[in-house]
Amino acid sequence: MQFYTHMIPEEGRQVTRLDFKVPAGFPSPAMDYMEEPIDLVKELAPHPLSTFYASCEGDSMLDAHIPPNSILVIDKSLMARSGDIVVAYLNGGYTVKYLKLKAGKCYLVPANAAKNYAVTEVTQDMEMIIWGVVTNVIINTKHLRLCTL
Amino acid sequence: MYALADCNNFYVSCERVFNPGLIGKPVIVLSNNDGCAVSRSEEAKSLGIKMGTPPHLITELIREKDVKVFSSNYTLYGDMSDRVMKTFCQFVPAIERYSIDEAFLDFSGIHATDLQQLAMKIRDTVYKNTGIPICLGIAPTRALAKMANRFAKGKQQGNGIHLAANQQLINEMLAATAVADIWGIGGQYAQMLRQRHITTAMEFVNTPEDFVRASMSVVGLRLQQELKGISANELKSILEKKQQVCCSRSFGSLLTDISQVKEALSNFAATCALKLRQQNSLANELKIFINTNPHRLQDRQYYRSVVMKMEMATNNTPEIIRYAMKGLDIIFQEGNQYKKCGIEARELVAEGEAQGNLFFEATPARHNTIMNTLDELNRQMGKELLRFGRQGFQKKYKTRAAMLSPKYTTRLDDIIKIKK
Repeated sequence: MQFYTHMIPEEGRQVTRLDFKVPAGFPSPAMDYMEEPIDLVKELAPHPLSTFYASCEGDSMLDAHIPPNSILVIDKSLMARSGDIVVAYLNGGYTVKYLKLKAGKCYLVPANAAKNYAVTEVTQDMEMIIWGVVTNVIINTKHLRLCTL
Repeated sequence: MYALADCNNFYVSCERVFNPGLIGKPVIVLSNNDGCAVSRSEEAKSLGIKMGTPPHLITELIREKDVKVFSSNYTLYGDMSDRVMKTFCQFVPAIERYSIDEAFLDFSGIHATDLQQLAMKIRDTVYKNTGIPICLGIAPTRALAKMANRFAKGKQQGNGIHLAANQQLINEMLAATAVADIWGIGGQYAQMLRQRHITTAMEFVNTPEDFVRASMSVVGLRLQQELKGISANELKSILEKKQQVCCSRSFGSLLTDISQVKEALSNFAATCALKLRQQNSLANELKIFINTNPHRLQDRQYYRSVVMKMEMATNNTPEIIRYAMKGLDIIFQEGNQYKKCGIEARELVAEGEAQGNLFFEATPARHNTIMNTLDELNRQMGKELLRFGRQGFQKKYKTRAAMLSPKYTTRLDDIIKIKK
């Protein structure tokens, strides 16, 4: 049995293979049909060089399926468009909101009908940075358990 | 053509990516053990904070000007560096990583009119991917590319790119660079050249080769060739001098007990062995050294080192630890307050070039397999999962890092927290 490790530089991914030498006996009929197992990281973060993660602790985006304790997958390289969910740095803190660009104006829009959070219009005098675009939300269902059932 | 791409104030830039509130403020990052400033934001430089300033000498300034101070977060910087380097790889066929924040990019075969555009594309992509600003210097040789990079950095409101692609541009650059600012010319050579009225890089280039060879050896001559636009392939390896691998650190507190020093040294030895394996080298000799704190005048001062010749060249962790312990037993003296110890692996040879001798065979294959498995497991499961008993768990020697930022990119518990 031997380990082979090699890098796929453009993806920044290291692959380790385990090769078995079958000393005798009938070779597995599946050998010719082997495929790579599903790699969720590849699906959720296809651009590892520009992917970062953040944890969301607030509930202002609950209606956009971002409950507290979810993990946001952020691609920093994407150009944010109106309608995207973005991570922004505003007034000394991070926030996650919908980005709305309309009639030359820029807004950060929450999504929680029950709590009625305010829409922020980003004006010239505010220092706001769009840090990255949220591409996936990872929710562990243990945070969603209904204990009342 | 080569490009030297270099991240601006790299450690500070990394901190700013994850803490944008630091933008526009004076920020410094300290060396290991919070010893001295090793990275400074432009605002910190304007306050007159010099490279290498110990923070305790500028406590007033730090408080008055609200300078943000960080311990060095090498885990974070290492990951960000990887992202930057891999981004470079997407644009050019080959890169030579020169340090954590700079690399030579192979720009050969690119049409002269496209150089600027390619450089801009690389700069923009690195910034988009990572948030790290970079500068690029482009020129026919590495030494000239390094010089061009200095120009790119120096330009006020420049675009971070300096192209020295033709002789006229190269000459302008050479004329405007002082000899002391040439990459690879140390203080002593610079002084010697100035005494002979050779003050600019241009004058150095025009100095007779015989004189350069005689007074600055073949290294100086190769450098001169590079500045003339003739690529010396060996230049990098000469300047790098990877003839030794070293690991030493100041302790977080003064140590008096040999067992504590042994714990520290065996950890440094393990790091040293890992570094050797990563560059596929074996060491023939180990230098072990130990010293007290020279700044504590009230303490008895002690510095001692010993060179251990090993039976066989090796990069095997337990072997290196074993020799390091032997060495420490020789130089350790009771009754001193030790501040620092270290290990240097010397007389390196490439793996596979080591020869066995009559009494010892070259490192048995079994050992190599164990080391490879250990490295692989530690890489996958976290840095210090598998250790040797000698490395201990007391960690009395652990360095100070009082103002460490989170490991935003490598630990799930440390990722950015969004409050609202």
